Amino acid sequence: MILTQESIKQIQEKASQYPQRKSAILPALTIAYRQIGYLNSDVYKEISRVIKVPYVEIAEAASFYTLFPKQPVGKYLIQVCHNISCALLGADSLIEYLEQKLGIKRGETTPDNLFTLVTVECLGSCATAPMMQINQDYYENLTREKVDQILDELRAKV
Amino acid sequence: MFYSPVITNAAEAVSNDRLHLFRYVEDPDQHKIQTYEAHGGYAAWKKVLNGMNPEAVREEVKKSGLRGRGGAGFPTGLKWGFIPKGSPKPRYLICNADESEPGTCKDRVIMERDPHAVIEGMAIAAYAIGCRLMFIYIRGEFNHCIERIKAAKEEAYAKGYLGKNIFGSGYDLDMVIHTGGGAYICGEETALLNSLEGKRGMSRIRPPFPAVEGLYACPTIVNNVETLSAVPHIINRGAEWYRSLGTEKSTGTKIFSLSGHVKRPGNYEVELGFSLRKLIYDPAYGSGIVGDKKLKGVIPGGSSTPMLTPDMIDVKLDYESLTEVGSMLGSGAVIVFHEETCIVWVVLRLIHFYRHESCGECTPCREGTGWMEQIIYRIEHGQGQPGDIEAIEDICGNILGRTVCPLGDAVVMLIQSAIKHWRDEWQYHIDHKKCLVKSDFEFK
Amino acid sequence: MTQEIKTDTYIKSGVETVTLTIDGRQVTVPKGTTVLEAATMLGIYIPTFCWHPKLKPVGACRMCYVEIEKFPKLQVSCATEATDGMIVHTDSEQVKQGRKAVIEFLLLNHPLDCPTCDKGGECELQNLTFAYGVDESRFEFQKHRFTDKSVTTTFDDIRIGPEIILNRDRCIRCYRCVRANKEAFGEYDLGVFGRGNMTEINAAPGEQVDNPFSGNLVEICPVGALTNTDWRYKIRVWLTKMAPSVCNFTSSGTNILFYKEDHKNRIFRTTSHCNDDIDDGWLADVTRYGYQIANSVERLQTPLIKKEGKQVPATWDEALEVIYKRFNEIREKKGSVCIGGLAAPHLDNASLYSFSKFFRTILHSNNVDFRCDYRMLPNKPDSVFSILCLRPFKISNIDNSDVIVTFGSDLVREHPNEYLRLRKAFNFNSPYIFSINPYSVKSADIADLELVYNVGTDEAVINGICLAAVEQNLVEPGVAIRWKEKVSPATLAETAAYCSVSEADLKAVAKALADGSQITFMIGELITRSKARETIAAAIANLNLLFRLDSKGQLAVLARYANSKGAERLGLMPCPSSAVERELALIWGEFPDCQPHTTDAMLALMKKEELNGFFILGANPVMLYPDREFAKEGLEKLEFLVVCDLFETETTALADVVLPLSSWAEFCGDYVNLEGRVQRAERAIKPIGQSRPGFEIIDVIAQKFDKKLFSTSNDMASEIERLLHLDSTMEMPREFLDVKPIREEVDEKFPIPLFVGDDPHHSGHITEKATSLANFAGEAYIEMSSDLADTYGLKERDSVRVESEVGKIIIPAKISDNLDGNVVFIPRNFSATPVTSLLMRKRRIDRVKITKVVE
Repeated sequence: MILTQESIKQIQEKASQYPQRKSAILPALTIAYRQIGYLNSDVYKEISRVIKVPYVEIAEAASFYTLFPKQPVGKYLIQVCHNISCALLGADSLIEYLEQKLGIKRGETTPDNLFTLVTVECLGSCATAPMMQINQDYYENLTREKVDQILDELRAKV
Repeated sequence: MFYSPVITNAAEAVSNDRLHLFRYVEDPDQHKIQTYEAHGGYAAWKKVLNGMNPEAVREEVKKSGLRGRGGAGFPTGLKWGFIPKGSPKPRYLICNADESEPGTCKDRVIMERDPHAVIEGMAIAAYAIGCRLMFIYIRGEFNHCIERIKAAKEEAYAKGYLGKNIFGSGYDLDMVIHTGGGAYICGEETALLNSLEGKRGMSRIRPPFPAVEGLYACPTIVNNVETLSAVPHIINRGAEWYRSLGTEKSTGTKIFSLSGHVKRPGNYEVELGFSLRKLIYDPAYGSGIVGDKKLKGVIPGGSSTPMLTPDMIDVKLDYESLTEVGSMLGSGAVIVFHEETCIVWVVLRLIHFYRHESCGECTPCREGTGWMEQIIYRIEHGQGQPGDIEAIEDICGNILGRTVCPLGDAVVMLIQSAIKHWRDEWQYHIDHKKCLVKSDFEFK
Repeated sequence: MTQEIKTDTYIKSGVETVTLTIDGRQVTVPKGTTVLEAATMLGIYIPTFCWHPKLKPVGACRMCYVEIEKFPKLQVSCATEATDGMIVHTDSEQVKQGRKAVIEFLLLNHPLDCPTCDKGGECELQNLTFAYGVDESRFEFQKHRFTDKSVTTTFDDIRIGPEIILNRDRCIRCYRCVRANKEAFGEYDLGVFGRGNMTEINAAPGEQVDNPFSGNLVEICPVGALTNTDWRYKIRVWLTKMAPSVCNFTSSGTNILFYKEDHKNRIFRTTSHCNDDIDDGWLADVTRYGYQIANSVERLQTPLIKKEGKQVPATWDEALEVIYKRFNEIREKKGSVCIGGLAAPHLDNASLYSFSKFFRTILHSNNVDFRCDYRMLPNKPDSVFSILCLRPFKISNIDNSDVIVTFGSDLVREHPNEYLRLRKAFNFNSPYIFSINPYSVKSADIADLELVYNVGTDEAVINGICLAAVEQNLVEPGVAIRWKEKVSPATLAETAAYCSVSEADLKAVAKALADGSQITFMIGELITRSKARETIAAAIANLNLLFRLDSKGQLAVLARYANSKGAERLGLMPCPSSAVERELALIWGEFPDCQPHTTDAMLALMKKEELNGFFILGANPVMLYPDREFAKEGLEKLEFLVVCDLFETETTALADVVLPLSSWAEFCGDYVNLEGRVQRAERAIKPIGQSRPGFEIIDVIAQKFDKKLFSTSNDMASEIERLLHLDSTMEMPREFLDVKPIREEVDEKFPIPLFVGDDPHHSGHITEKATSLANFAGEAYIEMSSDLADTYGLKERDSVRVESEVGKIIIPAKISDNLDGNVVFIPRNFSATPVTSLLMRKRRIDRVKITKVVE
């Protein structure tokens, strides 16, 4: 069993709020992702058993959404927006800076499994560009100093 | 203090009685129910349940001329009236908080800092259409907004403003928070319905319209966060007051997200009919272009709207005026870029976004966006062939109006305007195999 | 696939109509019809990809554009409702340009595989490109590929099921396959994954597409993205010819087309020959792949005669000589009542009728039957159960029913076509659906209410529904009193407890039956196979009288096998219904008055050596009779046994003479489906080897007896015609019948009820010779719910020892989502596993004990 009892309880609670069971697919995927860090077909099978929805529907929905990584990622998933407003304020350069600082290319994970760097589309933070999202938190109005500071803080927490 | 350090013109809103959405967003306690109520919150909800019938609420909102603030600009009161009378199926209200349009970051501010306004607006709208279970669909990346809305929902339930027999009126209302999974297309009405139902977020053909057959095949109304947060103010101060704001056909105020190459990017609540030039250059708002460079172009309403050239920025920011100059108000996200920006680079950025977010249901969008990205990519990287621009125009013609949902139209209008206003620059790319102006934005 | 548009699906029952003009021609259609349907009614062709006449429209492909006046943009006709006064142009310049654009978009990334793609020659993309597309492509980029870059070939061919190969690059994302799979079949093994132009259709990760209707997915794919293994690379479609036929493995009489090649004398595949009244264009896999038995290498090519204990090949003359000699011996020594016959219910009308006539007019014997897999069938005519079997039934009436009840029927296994029809009603009409069975079945997924009752309490459940009706005052008091007097039932609470169903459920069913105006009540094999069928039938007759069901719709036992109805109508039973017997007496001038014997009775006589000669035509009683011990004992004691079949089987192994039988594809024959509809199957290929059709065999044997069965072949046809036109429907009883629930003792040593039936991919004893069907299911298994599996510590494919009082076998376990209720199911179609050795004919319920086999 990959899902913890706590997760299963949360999923069942959430599922009870909807008039139809199938609506619980997306919340269930979110809860599972928060617990595990990524999703794969074993997780879909378990969710299928918990909310009693056919397995293929869960796999279909999960493959449609980009928020859930389908491979294991590092402890900190760094998602940098490279859409228009952020790009106009140097997002490309920010990404290069991060690649250089972490020693990896976009899409890769650092060897110590701490950071995974990916580029994403608009995160709804255009007036505070350039910015990035690390796990659940937004870091906005970035400068080189701030980026250094954030990375150091995150490393220190481990 | 606040999760997001975004600039707002709340200070102006505090002193200017006409601006109401941002009045309290700089108050760090506004998200708490006590503070919200002290500032006059939930008075409208009480007023509605204590004496107005749903018909009256709908009439009031209709008279106010409030239009959808998510991008379509459809009259809200009219939309609410599309629910078939006498249908025995349950009705649903969905608040569309899936803010993913590039350039738009306004709903976030309201949800994070003034979540009760959203809940109150949703509640009144739910009452107006006879809904007992309402949903808010928040995009999955907005974790702080989700937390704030969750806390606000719990506070509202605790005080009996949601749940059973609210204010002893006999009206029950429940709320469900549904978080998204990272798909721009789910901001589109029918794709949102499919996503809420647990399916892949692909659009539905219309008819049947969501107001007749929406969520779970029941009558459903989908409204934007900003639209709903204006509703309590309309109830409190009346439709006449709301009509006095803005212009005759575009009443009320709107939050514009100003981003890009301005000195003060931020969210600004202004009355509709505000001058675009003023928004960009006035020190109280955008304060001009960074480095005092020359303006090259403006996208006035989020990336799905046609672009404007510098000689067009005297236009007024309202639905009619922008349509007259060939653009759209859209979601009100004003993206500004200066003379050192390559236009093909901008379009490439955006076509990549649209191709990435296309749901893949209908042929023109699915195949067309990919093809156009490939053509524009090679133009930008110095390998453009003669005839490429004509090919792009032709493909746009094959997508416009031929898709299931408006995403196809959004792509096309953007690209068509870029080619129309800056054709020489596109041609330069092809003829000279390089950019006219190299976009090299430094990250400091 | 040619587009045969039948638009009955959407015609709502309202009478309101609209009139619109398409290409200058006016047409009046019911309100709610789409423009595309209206155009097809006028015979105007509008090209489509994603539209399918039996599925809800999605408007995804954008190929069906039309120009409608007052609409600024092109509209998709499959999704636009026709309104009064609409003016539509289907061939304007704008429309043509629109179609060109769509074809261009579809061909952007479509691989140019035509020379090696199976679909070439019948590909909708090819056809529409030639008709509406562009000559040259403007696309100069690398075509997008799904294949992993490490794979060096350009072919992305993935096997996603035992018979289906997927090529993702060719897919044009019309979504027909996933829509059909989910909507029409209710299966969840195919899905859509990814987003945008990376959208791919694939099997669910880690699973296979092996549902009982999977072959249809290949047929509806407009391009070569989904292909069948049985057709792959074998032949080009334009080198084959089509022969219309009828399915020989199910009772619906699904209309099919064989694709055959005359030089090779071989059938290459089967596709649908859409008949909206029966099958809506969908084929069960057993229908689609069943043709493979015809060209199987294992076919019997010559007659065999047992000489010195071994069966050796012989000529027809030799064989016929032996048959005549031995039968004649028995006839002269002991009388022809010591000769019996058993025909298979999937044979054609001519064979069945000749068989009956041979026994009755030449041998003057009533020892003839066509049912070898039902235990303890009664010998009397006009029993209540046989009345139920003769009730009229129309498949298309399911579409409009407002209440549908399936009682004792595992629809997917036994009547796949009716299951699809039920799903169609569910998708388009929302009737009340009730599923009442002794174990939970797949077809109950769409039921409003599923009642799973205790095994062996079938008649009590029906009594319970009647009781519930009486208690809710849904019947007139006078009628209720008469019923109560006759039946003197227990209370509703007691009945519900006895059956382990809830009172509320029984009440719900009763209410629905009382309120419904168009009711379909289908009774299935679990009742037919039960020894208590007469008692259950009596209960149902009471139900019918109480609710007046026969005036409000259809109530019938669904016949099984391709021609059981034909056998019934033609009087092949030892005791035909009185109407049939009278007619036969008229035709033949006489009807033998000796004692009739069913298969059961004949086997018993064989054991006592009072029946000495037996003629089996196409059947396999050793494998299928529900008591293998009993059947074998009887047949082994015979003095002389003749068996005609397509393959060597357990039964042919016991025979003194074996004759090769032709399959239904090798001659022209008529078959009567469960509705009583007579349909012709044309001949597709010439008989294999020296095989002959049944009626020919009987004819030559009759000639040996110096009698001609028929003066001319016209005679045979007209006699059969007379019988088929006879209305042998009988009135349901008009008085209530006594129904006392039959209780059977449970042996503690064997606690688990066992059900034996067909695997969803098989039917009877010959389908395991079809290689494709064997790919889906090639060996027996014991199917159980996950709860039961956990109790015994069993996982998928674990070996299980299954024991009953009379036999034991070892087979792998199969865990299923259904079968709640502590029962197990074993399919009977695999000769390697003698399942019927576990059964006892005298028992109502077969019970077994299971243990895990530890290596």
